[in-house]
Amino acid sequence: MASVVFLRIHDFGRRPVSEQARLRAQLEAVVAVTTAELESASRIVLDASDGMAIVVLRDPRGALRLAGRALSAAAAGLPVSAGINHGAVRVIGNGKPEAMVGDGIAVAAAVAQFAPPSELRVSHTFRDALSDAAPGAESALVPAGTATDSGLRRHELFTRDKRAAARRRVRYSALSAAAAIALLAAGIGLRISEEGHEAFMSGVMGKYRQVAAQGERQVRGLAQKVKLP
Amino acid sequence: MSRKKPAQIGRYKLLEELGRGAMGVVYRARDPSLDRIVALKTIMLSDEADGRKDYQKRFALEARAAGKLTHPNIVTTFDFGEEGELAYIAMELLEGVDLRERLKQGPLPTAEAVDIAVQVADGLGFAHERGIVHRDIKPGNIMLLERGDVKIMDFGIARMRSEDSKTSTGMVLGTPRFMSPEQIAGMPVDHRSDIFSLGVVLYEMLTGAMLFAGEDTPQIAHNVSSVEHAPPSRHNPDATSMLDFVVARALKKDPAVRYQDAYELAADLRTCLAELRNRTASPEQKAHDTTRTVKLDANERTPAAAAIAPETRLPLSRPFDSSAALQRLAKPSRRDRRFLGRAPRPVSVPRRLWNDAAPRLLFITMLVAAAAGSYIAFA
Repeated sequence: MASVVFLRIHDFGRRPVSEQARLRAQLEAVVAVTTAELESASRIVLDASDGMAIVVLRDPRGALRLAGRALSAAAAGLPVSAGINHGAVRVIGNGKPEAMVGDGIAVAAAVAQFAPPSELRVSHTFRDALSDAAPGAESALVPAGTATDSGLRRHELFTRDKRAAARRRVRYSALSAAAAIALLAAGIGLRISEEGHEAFMSGVMGKYRQVAAQGERQVRGLAQKVKLP
Repeated sequence: MSRKKPAQIGRYKLLEELGRGAMGVVYRARDPSLDRIVALKTIMLSDEADGRKDYQKRFALEARAAGKLTHPNIVTTFDFGEEGELAYIAMELLEGVDLRERLKQGPLPTAEAVDIAVQVADGLGFAHERGIVHRDIKPGNIMLLERGDVKIMDFGIARMRSEDSKTSTGMVLGTPRFMSPEQIAGMPVDHRSDIFSLGVVLYEMLTGAMLFAGEDTPQIAHNVSSVEHAPPSRHNPDATSMLDFVVARALKKDPAVRYQDAYELAADLRTCLAELRNRTASPEQKAHDTTRTVKLDANERTPAAAAIAPETRLPLSRPFDSSAALQRLAKPSRRDRRFLGRAPRPVSVPRRLWNDAAPRLLFITMLVAAAAGSYIAFA
């Protein structure tokens, strides 16, 4: 099982051959730059009829990063979209490696077909793989609907939302604050129910005065040490 | 068909037999009225009266259409007629060798192959402009002359043949390996079918591999309609990536995404030719070229169809060195075997808390708040 990033040039077949050659060379340059940050033992680059595929071994986060970088690098005039899947792949060849096959590649290609230009779509399996490799990282991938490919296979698609992770952090922080307030309030409520309001308040005020006096002493001591007027 | 050579057909005096096919014989003949040596192609007419009448009518139409094609890359048709059981067509006699014979010696030098394809595409473009589709573009119908000139043979006759080739059972005969998917399916064809056939011829010239080859016609038909070819550069390191694209576009199964015009194909091939000539013209560049030429095993020269797998098969990209990762896959470590061999697993709660900061914050906050709440309540 590996992550497959499929970079697809839009309407490749309908473009004049000279443009195809230019776009292909551009895509190769983009892939060369973006794969440079991956270890060479972690990636296999494949040619596709309308783009390129990069098989990333044991690094779904790296695959996601690579797709993101490729799309941003390609934004300058290369009409490319990306699809990522995590699935089975196999090396084939006559005595030596020649090609790769597998459902991992087929689904990545299908997913890339559903991505509009300059956008990324990932499969549910890839989201699971990302979650497995880096729990929490999957929160950046939000649902983008479902699509049925030419083989009548239904794919649940996700897309990247850079603000989704920040929103999740805010949600969790708010939930943490609410939980903390609720738990402290529950403790206070329990104490009041046991001691009564008056006793509790006088206890709190006594504690407050004690802490305030202690604080004042410490401030004075500190002021003497630094010889303030 | 009688093997006895008649002395004369029409006004043409037969000099010698040049070739013999399923439908007729080709003779070297002399036209006494112009004292010109011609190639006289004869076609056996149907025995049935109805079929014959129809055939004669079509033959005349096609021969007239072919006669209008005067182009440096198309064999000139001088005359046509009938005599007895034979229809004949007098054409320019060419001194040279046909591409089929040339290909028996192996693939052509890349620039020469592209040059031939350019000339054929030019000839086809000229005919297509006049509404004539060849329908049987194959190496046997491409004549290579001295000084590198190329001529397409059998315009018109090819069309007659192809219409005859559809039997009452709907089976298509002819040269299936060079037919387009729509032609092999018996669907109506247009000029884009010739473009596909030229794509197959070009592939064969570049690689020496017999594209779409199969053991029998149904297998060939299947290969033509559903098998994708490997780029020519896989077989021929001299083939440029642009040439790969040109071939790929000419060989699109769907005519709508194929080249729509033979002249457009010729223009792209000319660009490839210029690129190839530039490359051979600068030997210094060659000296500095660090590209490694990988020699293919003998069995890789077998029909390209044999090396083609389902749609998911993607070849390794040559500009990128993936050997380290491939080696890792060939000899995986224990960790690799464990991780690469399993599907993603659901994340357990402890693992989530350990690795995911947001739920961890919630968990710790709740833990601290619960401890503080308990202290307030019970201390």
